Amino acid sequence: MAKEWPKPSPKLLEKTHHLMHDGFHQRAFPDTAYDLPEALGDARWTDELIASAWYMAETGECPDHLNYKTGRSGGGFDKLEFKELPADQQLPADAEVDITLELNRRGDDRHKRTIDVPWYGGGMSYGSVSVNVMMSRALNAKKWNTLMSTGEGGYPPQLYECADHVITQVATGYFGVEEKSIQAAPIVEFKYAQGAKPGLGGHLLATKAGEEVAKMRGSVPFVSLFSPFPFHSTYSVEDHMKHLDWIKTVNPTAMMSVKVSTPHDVDMVAVGSYYAGAHIVHLDGGFGGTGAAPEIAKKNIAMPIELAIPKVHKFMQTEGIRDNVTIIASGGVRTADDIAKAIALGADGCVLGTSDLVAMGCTRCSNCEGGPSGRGCPWGLTTTDAELQEWVQQAWGADRLDKYYTALANRLKQILRELGLSSVGELRGRTDLLRYIAGGE
Amino acid sequence: MLATDLEKASDNMMDGSVTIKLPVAEQARLNRERADTYHRYHIDAMETEDRQKFPRRFNVKVGKFGLAKLLFTEFFKYFGHWDVVFSRPCTYGVFSGPVGGFSPRPDLCVGCLRCEVQHPDFVKVTHNPELAAIGDSYLTSKHISTIDEEARKGTVPVRGQGYRGRFGGPGFDQMFTDMSEIVRPSRDGIHGRELIGTSVDLGSKPMSLKFDSNGGLLDAPKMLTIQVPFIYAPPPDSVSTGIVPEILAEAAGTVDTLVFLPENTVTNQGLASPNVVPMIAPGQMGNIESHGNGTRMVEMTSWNLDAWNQVKEHPLLISVQLPLAGDWMSTMMEMVDNGVSIIHLISDHHGESDDGRFIMDLYQEAHFALIEKGCRDEVTLIGTGGIAGADHLPKSIITGMDAVGLDHPLLIAMQARLLGDTKTRGAAGVKLPSKFDQEWAVQRILNLSCSWRDQLLEILGAMGVREVRRLRGETGRAMWCGHLEAEAFGDIEGFPGGEH
Repeated sequence: MAKEWPKPSPKLLEKTHHLMHDGFHQRAFPDTAYDLPEALGDARWTDELIASAWYMAETGECPDHLNYKTGRSGGGFDKLEFKELPADQQLPADAEVDITLELNRRGDDRHKRTIDVPWYGGGMSYGSVSVNVMMSRALNAKKWNTLMSTGEGGYPPQLYECADHVITQVATGYFGVEEKSIQAAPIVEFKYAQGAKPGLGGHLLATKAGEEVAKMRGSVPFVSLFSPFPFHSTYSVEDHMKHLDWIKTVNPTAMMSVKVSTPHDVDMVAVGSYYAGAHIVHLDGGFGGTGAAPEIAKKNIAMPIELAIPKVHKFMQTEGIRDNVTIIASGGVRTADDIAKAIALGADGCVLGTSDLVAMGCTRCSNCEGGPSGRGCPWGLTTTDAELQEWVQQAWGADRLDKYYTALANRLKQILRELGLSSVGELRGRTDLLRYIAGGE
Repeated sequence: MLATDLEKASDNMMDGSVTIKLPVAEQARLNRERADTYHRYHIDAMETEDRQKFPRRFNVKVGKFGLAKLLFTEFFKYFGHWDVVFSRPCTYGVFSGPVGGFSPRPDLCVGCLRCEVQHPDFVKVTHNPELAAIGDSYLTSKHISTIDEEARKGTVPVRGQGYRGRFGGPGFDQMFTDMSEIVRPSRDGIHGRELIGTSVDLGSKPMSLKFDSNGGLLDAPKMLTIQVPFIYAPPPDSVSTGIVPEILAEAAGTVDTLVFLPENTVTNQGLASPNVVPMIAPGQMGNIESHGNGTRMVEMTSWNLDAWNQVKEHPLLISVQLPLAGDWMSTMMEMVDNGVSIIHLISDHHGESDDGRFIMDLYQEAHFALIEKGCRDEVTLIGTGGIAGADHLPKSIITGMDAVGLDHPLLIAMQARLLGDTKTRGAAGVKLPSKFDQEWAVQRILNLSCSWRDQLLEILGAMGVREVRRLRGETGRAMWCGHLEAEAFGDIEGFPGGEH
């Protein structure tokens, strides 16, 4: 059995918080004596993108001294840019721009929901992250009139205070699924697959499945928990429809979201999900985040989100159902520019996961699954360790996310104004406003 | 009736010679016992530590003056709160040695950077240039460190966070493999009770069976089955004799695959076994008769029609090497026309032909040429060269190979350092660890084989494919980055070859 660490004393908490918060500031601001850490970042999340997120989470503004728009992956969002329109075609800097997103387009009598920004928080289960992190995200979602998802690990009781902004996820292991949490949800999300490990189900390593986590999931402590892929009762669109009907019976007003990854036939899957009754088709691309995934699955299985969005968007247009369903994209969406590009490629909105964590201090060291210490994230994000999880306090996390979302929203509005668009809905599918950056990486 | 008698009777029933009817409960018990003796194919992995120190990922430098100043300040600031005074920013033990941060332990560093972010004035974490320097432009330090981990643990590498690399890329990175949202190879998961088959047949599958007047099978097919779709290719010339072939032969026997070794090595070191394939020069094919001790297959090291005609009727399976050079396609067709049933395609260690083309294209050409000729199932294609990671296995099979040869990764698993020319086949110098023994090295190769097989199962499971044989040439399971980009971005201004 893994060692249970004690909660930190108030003095230790005070010291650690001070050092961490000051450290984020020292690294992200231009007026300090320190450069970016040499070992920070990778091709997808560069050191500048990470530091930008820290800057935005502290100030609510985009930094002038860092590239906060693109990474260095050499493809996808990083090879796309928006065209620069003549000044007379742009909107003035103070023009009102609508970035709200209506989620229920089916015209049925279920819950109607317009969120204030065209993105919401993706599923991160209790166990993969702490209650503090979940609550930070939920409180921020409430403030921004948007949403966040529970992931597959149950519904910690604290979340009920934000229930109207919490999506309850039902996934293949049915961990923590209860009538109460389904009935509380404005949206119930069926997770068929996850972009970071498509077709492989979920996996919480034993070291992170502590007493409370196991209890929430109806398991025993410190045993690896696999959420086996797929739904073993689903072979067809009709079977899938039965799933949704089951939830619709339990909660007669909730919207249905279906989260799938991006196989070759993702367009057919999306159409099938719509006809089964989904209000939201959530596409999770192959570069998405994860608490634990086989390295071989990342990148090699399924396609990146940038390539899946146009495929689904165009096919649904051809089928004549595009305006009846909301397409949400995730899996490698890092910045406001990525959100805008995803929408220009054909999505209605996006889901953010990793970027929320980066805003709260993640350095993407890839030890979320436990790491050599077995305790999980040293930053207190992807851990339920009694000591480490205290490094992220709910009020602090929610405040960081609030400012981060402020910066994202402002940047998105700036992009729309520069494109001469008064609402984010006008951007959908406008590939004519994009330019592909040919040449070197 | 005694239980043992029942068992005998029941056993006899199985071959139809006895007709005793057993009570249902007894029969059920015996069936259960039989089921308990079933052993699913498995490679026994066991954690096997490195014998020589692998370069660490990060270097950690701590300014001693800065640290002393911090400790001095905190001692008085938090006097009495010893948990605070002695707290460390590292949960991995980098600063938990006898003198803490004054002598950090960078081997334990995972690069979370908490120490550097918290103490930017005196802590610096950097990538270790020694690690970056290993490998070459193809078999990179990332590949090598992953192989080392797989050979050490025998497990599938699992990590948090998402993908960190480039969007697409050259070589095998051009391909994404497909998955299915609902189709599964088995209903209880890929590691459940049901089997996903990784065995492949080498040899010619008959297109029809012929029987004599008594119902006996005529012309029984010459085939053999190996349990994994990879073989062990011959080691470089510098270690083609001595302990390395012995290690490979033992590991191949345990895994139940094949190792290809020079004939002289097999003979001189007494390595003949059902899992060892002696490689014989065309002029020496007359030696085929001398290979006994269960030898099932030999390989002719280059195509020679006269030599082939001498041995083609021999009961042993015979594969023929075909370097991917010159007009190899014409040679392959000539081989097929003359009845060669196992063709071993050979590229350099970067997976390229002599004109610089990559094997994924060449494998497809070979595969589809045989389909066009209408004889794909009568020929086995093995591809050797350019395999540097677990994902390269399924990708090679998707592009048309029945089985794939592993070469340099086996040496990396044994913690060998490759020196000199690492691209030309067989040319690399090999420096083995100073503390090296056969038992350790065999287990490292078993671990690597287990890890790669398990990762193959992950890919097959995601696709919903129940046996690897069905993956061969299934290019419909491949998604090519270039094609997808053209489909997604073709109408965007500036996209090469797009509408604009």
